[in-house]
Amino acid sequence: MIIIVDALNRHKYTTLVDRMFQLRAQVFGGRLGWDVQVENGREIDQYDSLDPAYVIGVNAAGDVVSCVRALQTTGPHMLSDVFSAILGDEPPLRSPTLWESTRFCVDTKRLARGRGPGSISDATAELMIGSLEYAMSSGIDDIVTVIDPVMDKVLKRSNNAPYDYVGSTVQMGKVPALAALLDCTQERIDRVRDFANIPHDVFAGPEELARFTDAGLLSQSNSVGRELTVDYLWAQFDAAKTVDEVAAVYRMWMDLFSKGLVESAPPESLTSRHVA
Amino acid sequence: MGLIDIGAEPTSRDTFNAFIEQLRDRLGVDHAAYAGMDHAGSDIRGFVTYPGAWIEHYQQNEMASKDPTLRLASRSIAPLDWARAAAICEGDRVMLEASDFGLPRNGVTVPVRGPFGDIGMLSVSAHGSPEQWKKQFAHIRSDLQSMAVYLHDRVVQSFTDQNPAMRPLMSQREIEILQWIAVGKTQRDVGTILSISDRTVEVHLRSARTKLSALTTTQAVARAIESRLINPR
Repeated sequence: MIIIVDALNRHKYTTLVDRMFQLRAQVFGGRLGWDVQVENGREIDQYDSLDPAYVIGVNAAGDVVSCVRALQTTGPHMLSDVFSAILGDEPPLRSPTLWESTRFCVDTKRLARGRGPGSISDATAELMIGSLEYAMSSGIDDIVTVIDPVMDKVLKRSNNAPYDYVGSTVQMGKVPALAALLDCTQERIDRVRDFANIPHDVFAGPEELARFTDAGLLSQSNSVGRELTVDYLWAQFDAAKTVDEVAAVYRMWMDLFSKGLVESAPPESLTSRHVA
Repeated sequence: MGLIDIGAEPTSRDTFNAFIEQLRDRLGVDHAAYAGMDHAGSDIRGFVTYPGAWIEHYQQNEMASKDPTLRLASRSIAPLDWARAAAICEGDRVMLEASDFGLPRNGVTVPVRGPFGDIGMLSVSAHGSPEQWKKQFAHIRSDLQSMAVYLHDRVVQSFTDQNPAMRPLMSQREIEILQWIAVGKTQRDVGTILSISDRTVEVHLRSARTKLSALTTTQAVARAIESRLINPR
């Protein structure tokens, strides 16, 4: 599902944003070999400090499986600066109804080949639909997107071919990059939806939005941890052969309980069973 | 478009005030307000259609620095619906008092990021049900975006005495398209002549209009001739 994170809600989604920067490091710094700065396993550049909007694809476990970044073309953006070589040093397009999209990527390691839920093509289509619908609802008519030739092929194959390009394909580090134009129209969205067989709303609902905030993810990981701990304690009890061993497990459980690391105290009945 | 052409120099405070009133009427909303500042945030300009009592109250209490619609919209790339601002800043004083003064609850603030770190915000608001507002906004959002950038660029240019060299540069493609339009070709003709799609012509024309501070293509052509970017025939 898709979550939109911008400067207004970013403080609630710092974990997702951090996972997104890690995915970008893995894709652009690693797999694609782009000339990007990776520090501490995260790819972050100066445009991330300009309050962009991110369209983030998240799976049920809270992993970031896809992402893209949007900036207005009326102000500073990548084609007006870092990517100006693509335009052959011609000034970039500037329009209130044109957004620039950059750093479009999906997690090919975590996603499966083929089609259907959990596949690369499904995640790609979902991110496309999410980006186009978010832009359209913000009054945006077109997107200029900086991509590599592989992504260009992916777009064409998924019934989402750019209607044109600006500038030309130039070498950026190890790989070429180009700027494609996409119209934010219902026709295009419908084509992608038809192709990928995604009729449903791709955006996270209120419950999911709450689940993927920092607080939501923390409580989730805590509850998973607690369940594991309880399983472990039960196993220790079952393995205990002497009264002393049972007492040791009992003390450990009490200790974890007093620190709030398990939800309940050790059950009395069980202790007596073992001791008997 | 039936709006004062503020793209032509010079532009006075009165012209901007008249423009914001025309914009309100044209979009069929109850109020319109513009606030803009340079990159340092030191020079703030505003033009509003709000009742005098609210303007006075707003200024006396220095609300511009506290106004959540401005504070939040300046960090958003998308138009900020006031419902989202209200949800983020629940019980905010400025918003509560605005409604005490009879200002509409439905509204949107469109942020504009300029090339020099300057930021402008155009807000429009309307009375009525949230459902009506949703429909109305969907109807006006595209015009609103264009007007916001148009107005903001002109305000920034007027308050910094900028020389024309500071204006965004035109690309060869944009100039070429304007030149064909100037000699009477339609958008479709231009597409055929240059072997590009209608939509490509449109996206470049929109960019050309934005860079030339023009709301219409006719204005853009006139402006391009004036600044000798293209030749009249």
